[in-house]
Amino acid sequence: MNINTIVSLSVNGIAMGMIYALMAMGLILLIRAIGVMNFAQGDLLMFGAFVTCALTVDLKLPLWIMIPLALISFAVIGVIFMFTVYWPLKDATYPTATVISTMGAAMALKEIATLIWGSLPRSMPPLMKNPKTGKAAVLNLFGIKLQWQFVLTIIVGAVLIWLVFVLFEKLYAGRMMQAAAQDKYAAELLGIPTILTTAATYIIVVIMVSTGGYMIAPIFMVSNTLGSLQLRAFAGVVIGGLGNIKGAIIGSLIIGLVESFSTIQFSQYKDAVVFIVLIAMLLVRPQGLFGEKVADKA
Amino acid sequence: MLKITDLHAYYGPIEALKGINVHVEAGKITCLIGSNGAGKTTLLNAISGTIKRTGSIIVEGKGEIIDKHSRFIARRGIIHVPEGRHIFPGLTVRENLETGTVNWHGFFGRQPYDKELKEVYKLFPRLEERKNQLGWSLSGGEQQMLAIGRAMMARPAVLMLDEPSMGLAPLVVQELFEKIVEINKQQGIPILLVEQNARLALEISHYAYIIDGGSVKLEGSSSELKNDPRVIEAYLGKFAKKN
Repeated sequence: MNINTIVSLSVNGIAMGMIYALMAMGLILLIRAIGVMNFAQGDLLMFGAFVTCALTVDLKLPLWIMIPLALISFAVIGVIFMFTVYWPLKDATYPTATVISTMGAAMALKEIATLIWGSLPRSMPPLMKNPKTGKAAVLNLFGIKLQWQFVLTIIVGAVLIWLVFVLFEKLYAGRMMQAAAQDKYAAELLGIPTILTTAATYIIVVIMVSTGGYMIAPIFMVSNTLGSLQLRAFAGVVIGGLGNIKGAIIGSLIIGLVESFSTIQFSQYKDAVVFIVLIAMLLVRPQGLFGEKVADKA
Repeated sequence: MLKITDLHAYYGPIEALKGINVHVEAGKITCLIGSNGAGKTTLLNAISGTIKRTGSIIVEGKGEIIDKHSRFIARRGIIHVPEGRHIFPGLTVRENLETGTVNWHGFFGRQPYDKELKEVYKLFPRLEERKNQLGWSLSGGEQQMLAIGRAMMARPAVLMLDEPSMGLAPLVVQELFEKIVEINKQQGIPILLVEQNARLALEISHYAYIIDGGSVKLEGSSSELKNDPRVIEAYLGKFAKKN
């Protein structure tokens, strides 16, 4: 194994890890805000890939119109998702009801995508093309060849994650959202509009996840099986420690790298390798790499 | 300041408040006394709009609030410090205080709140010492100070305190109640106090209501009620007179 392979496998791994990290971060934001594990996360990613594919391939929109249009539709999907999947069940006496409802939403999204765009996988052109050949552009870094799509995925993922961190940690509105997530009753008493903070959380999560779908669409084919990628995000969340965003991001990157490097030896078994790492982690350190930020006080 | 007339509240089919009349006077401390399950906390929740209720709640100069959502009630300056403190565990002390400003500040507002912050720190110097500590790591007394401090950030027109002494050591309770009196005296903020420790509540309040079974059983000035044989019998214990 030479340095070329190591670097290109790392870049591929980190790029995939970024996609998992976007999903994992969204999972934790939702767990914090409404206390529910979202099993439709992968299918939201799939849906985002289809939407952007339709905008780019079917409508042939240029990038500068496509991006704002895509963001608006992601936000609308987020709000619809909230008011159909979560809102009717928010006062349910049986808390698992909402979790089941997200599983139903996953199936519904898959079927809607099939109804609109058919069941055949569609191909999506890469963001940067080689002007001569029309194929995916390659970045030549000191003789190491890297696909631009992977490099861009890393950049877009990192920027999105950074933006969400800034929103939650630095902005007044972000702290109100954190407060509402931590104690809805107290937030209501202070006058924090909790319906707005919940909707904002859904919009942010769907934008993150769907943008992930947009970035990997050229790498995979766009098909309704993309949703299965969410298992990697779950693994990332568990490795990082449930409830810790930084941990989930690092866990997801680890999953991406493990997956990428396992293709050298056993490319067919890369899924198995990922979950062996997960099981090993659960055996050795069940609380994850990073524990909970807020401990229960006795 | 706050005039409550014929207030009913329900938990499902159960009527928890059966037509309560309470008047919180401007600049005064009004207290609600009663045993467990009498409806004191329910009354505060009904005022702050977190449960279903009918009747009339009029805020002086700001009108009827019975049909309003809790968010709008908070915006009118009716600030409820709930039982069990309910501070935000994952935010620092300073961030917890910051959340108190949302009712006059708006969700995206950027007005300064240094003046409010300084006043709260002056009232509770302990909070300034611990301003970068996370909420959950505070002691019970500090959490209660933080909950009251957070309410003070909201520029309250009326402050409603639910069981501020719960689970605290007697010395801490003493200190806390001195601060409550200070808030009332120096800033003239009317306070509606719910308290199980009847003696302490009657000591610092001006007017008191005894609540039982979801309705007002007795009311009067606190100094009168302190010596009322029925109150002594039921809430203060028979040795109360010696104090």
